[in-house]
Amino acid sequence: MQRLLSGAYNWFDERAAVRNLLRKGLYEAVPVRGAWFYTLGSATLVLILLQLITGIFLTLLYVPSVTEAWASLNYLKQHDAFGSIVRGIHLWSAYILLFVIGLHMVRTFFSGSYKRPRELNWVTGVILFVLVLGMAITGAFLPWDQAAYWTAVVVTNIAAYTPLIGSFLRALWRGGDTMGPITLVRTFGIHVWLLPAILFPLILAHLALLRKHGEFGSYINYRGAFRSREGVDVPPAPKQRPIEPPYPAVPTDELWAAPLETEDFYPHQTFKDGIVSVGLVIVVFILAVAIGAPLEAIADPSTTSYVPVPEWFFLPLDQLLLLVPQQLIPLILVLPAGGVLLLLALPFIDRGPERNPFERPAVMVPGAFAVLFIVILTLLGSGRLFNQ
Amino acid sequence: MAHRDPRRLTRRQFDLLGTQVAGAVVAVLLGIPIIGFILSPLFRRQPTYWQQVGDIGSVPDGQPTKFVVSFPQGEWTSSKVNAAVYVVKQNNNYTVLSNVCSHMQCPVHWDDALRQFLCPCHGGLYDITGQNVGGPPPKPLPQYVHRIDGTTLYIENRFTENI
Repeated sequence: MQRLLSGAYNWFDERAAVRNLLRKGLYEAVPVRGAWFYTLGSATLVLILLQLITGIFLTLLYVPSVTEAWASLNYLKQHDAFGSIVRGIHLWSAYILLFVIGLHMVRTFFSGSYKRPRELNWVTGVILFVLVLGMAITGAFLPWDQAAYWTAVVVTNIAAYTPLIGSFLRALWRGGDTMGPITLVRTFGIHVWLLPAILFPLILAHLALLRKHGEFGSYINYRGAFRSREGVDVPPAPKQRPIEPPYPAVPTDELWAAPLETEDFYPHQTFKDGIVSVGLVIVVFILAVAIGAPLEAIADPSTTSYVPVPEWFFLPLDQLLLLVPQQLIPLILVLPAGGVLLLLALPFIDRGPERNPFERPAVMVPGAFAVLFIVILTLLGSGRLFNQ
Repeated sequence: MAHRDPRRLTRRQFDLLGTQVAGAVVAVLLGIPIIGFILSPLFRRQPTYWQQVGDIGSVPDGQPTKFVVSFPQGEWTSSKVNAAVYVVKQNNNYTVLSNVCSHMQCPVHWDDALRQFLCPCHGGLYDITGQNVGGPPPKPLPQYVHRIDGTTLYIENRFTENI
């Protein structure tokens, strides 16, 4: 039997060359120290796949139309317990995804993993982060309940404050100057086709680049080697190097050529990845069953009693909307856009070989201030909403 | 060795050019209709409708009164969508305000205690005539295009100024 199976595998491999692909994917040497921090990337991937799967199945019922969208989800809520769980998983894994992808980014920033030759890993990662935010915002429009409608009104209206082409952009998104049937269908198309069509190939590129350059680890993986290189001493040989290159592809700096200790990606890193991911999926499932996805009353533009409350991930920007005086409203676009541009430029600004976060104050201090700024805006915003 | 006329394309250059031209033709033939499709709602004139708001004879002086009017939702739908109208009477002058905040288009409401229109999103304030008097709003509250027939108010589903 085993002979038959390995024969079939060999036949298949001769034609499809899967063995080499598997070897490359699974037997990568990864740093031993700090490995739990490196589970954030795979957790992000698992949560995005959760979005893909639940999202595909939600289209089996959801109708992207101003007259039917709310009604179809209300039907789901009233008559379909399992469907409600699917929608709950879609919502809660999106919330947790935003959190985890943020942590993944902070970790990469902290450990300086964006340095040569991994600049494009970072750049694709920043674009992926922006695309995931775009998915979150467009997804929030789709239920077309009060929360969704007023989120849609405010978000599309922010685009109107773009200098010169603002009202054009708003009309492009809304399909006219005002909110209408086209607004919802367009946003649905963007959410299920346009953004995923960019997102998923870019994820593949992000992963391919990861395998191309290997995981660099953080400075803790080089401690010791770094010090011994200062003098004439020969650095200690790596303790363990399970396989040969592709790791590391090109040592760009001899001090940082390779971590001291490495082990196989599979099954050592995948074990840790699996533990973290399964933990997150269980949390998502519990939240989906226990809380589920809310559905407020159907959208009503004539309300004078509804108090629009922004999605939590939108809270820092919403607080900025409140704080920015009327003469400076375009700041609400300039600040996030400038932030994204700075993130994209980061690997080209911080170019030295130093990876120790405590030796890189030029990027760590502004980075910490940016995070602090966002946290303070969030706290101000949540304080305001709770006191309302 | 054969001499080649430098003005003539080599086969390689010709084939390269052909491939690029083929790609460009496909891009143009697909791109023009798609870009036109995306932009077409922007060039279409939104149809406007007159709608009776109701009798405003009983609207008290200095007290904004809310009416709700239905307009066709637009495009292919046969459904209607509600719009809120605040009728303000002052010295026999009527102002017909919408509930659309000029800041982020959130729904404002008349606050009796403040004697101002208040936006719940970011705290925008407007006085009784719809002038922006506090918070982030950059412009007054939009006013509906309207006419008054005796004491009956009619509005059109567009504002006097673009917002």
